Amino acid sequence: MMEQLPDGKSIGWMQAPPQWIFSHTLRFVGIVRIVIQDGEGFILINKGKPLTYYFKHGRIELRGNAALDYFNSNPTIEFNLSKYTPEEMSLAMQICHIEDGETKTIPVPVAPAVPAEPPARAPQPSAAPARPDTVATPAPAAAVPKPAPVPVKPLPEPETVPEEETPSVPVSAVPPPPVLEAPPAPPSVPLPAVLDAEDIKIISQIKKLNGIVAISVFNDDRNIMLMGDVEIEPLLRIARSLLATTRKITPHLDWGQFVHMTLQIPEGNIIIADYRENYLCLLTTRTINIGHIRRILRDLQISEGA
Amino acid sequence: MAVLKEILNKFLILNGVQAAMVVQENGEIIESMKSGIRIDEELQRVIATLMLDSKATATSFGDAPLSMLFVEYADYFLIIGPVMEEFYLLVIAKNTANIGQITYAMKKNQEEIVSTL
Repeated sequence: MMEQLPDGKSIGWMQAPPQWIFSHTLRFVGIVRIVIQDGEGFILINKGKPLTYYFKHGRIELRGNAALDYFNSNPTIEFNLSKYTPEEMSLAMQICHIEDGETKTIPVPVAPAVPAEPPARAPQPSAAPARPDTVATPAPAAAVPKPAPVPVKPLPEPETVPEEETPSVPVSAVPPPPVLEAPPAPPSVPLPAVLDAEDIKIISQIKKLNGIVAISVFNDDRNIMLMGDVEIEPLLRIARSLLATTRKITPHLDWGQFVHMTLQIPEGNIIIADYRENYLCLLTTRTINIGHIRRILRDLQISEGA
Repeated sequence: MAVLKEILNKFLILNGVQAAMVVQENGEIIESMKSGIRIDEELQRVIATLMLDSKATATSFGDAPLSMLFVEYADYFLIIGPVMEEFYLLVIAKNTANIGQITYAMKKNQEEIVSTL
């Protein structure tokens, strides 16, 4: 069935929790193609309404809620959003035997009710026991560099962390290791729609630039979107560590608005920047044109301010 | 250290550069030259924080050595690059400065700076 569906106009591939799809497609008309291990599936969406769910792995076919349950059993999935024209949507609905105008909408779950199978396993039609955690995994403790005597006392941790009610961190002479603990409990309500089609377009355009290995939009709680073939948790740990540094130094510098921080190591660059109410993290090759990235990040901030 | 000052002074000739300094990885300033900027205790604390944090972050990323740190704000940016072992060269410039020119000068003068340390 999947082969018969119109291709549509691809917006880009990304990795995110399944819930991301439902909270970010309110104005989207098209197909979300999903790849999990060797299986493939799709969700047909009409302005936020999931019309049908389908997944196939070998001979196993899952339809409707069974497919949805399987999608939700994965903490993150890889998927592609492709926009449909009204004609393409109509054709796709015919292929999926969905009558025009029918609101055969399968209710979107508030939180994944079915849980994560071990990633190495093939999909099973029967659901596994529930495990609510879909967002973050506790970060392993990073090695703390042995502090040397410091003649100049570095800045303490900021007393308040914007947007989050975080327990205050004791001030110490040496900054804590660059690891932020994952929140103790994952959210059990739908996550707010923070990215729209325009955001996705911008992010996928940046991802297409030469030298961009991966790009993530993240906030204090979780990764919102990832494009690129990397493991998100290690990348986020570094990004949050850099972000923590900027939060410590920015209040003490009268240098204007923060634009970006780039950490270069022999393997490449990690760049963080503000992006609307969230943050961007870019992983790039060493050879990338930093000047080009600077211009893009500045333009983004200017367009946000406009 | 007079020779080191002379070398650092070469950076101030570059358009938009406000300060050039050699710092240790704990943030201690070994030598500095500045023009139109004040290196007060607060800036020193910022530098110390940047040095310690970025080193720790790079270390947590597969024990990687820090090749460069670049922090940009609307009006100024700051670049830190390694010189030798625990010594780093730090440049503060207006955002109108040419970053390519600065990083080139950092590489070009590295050997000479090493010889003074």
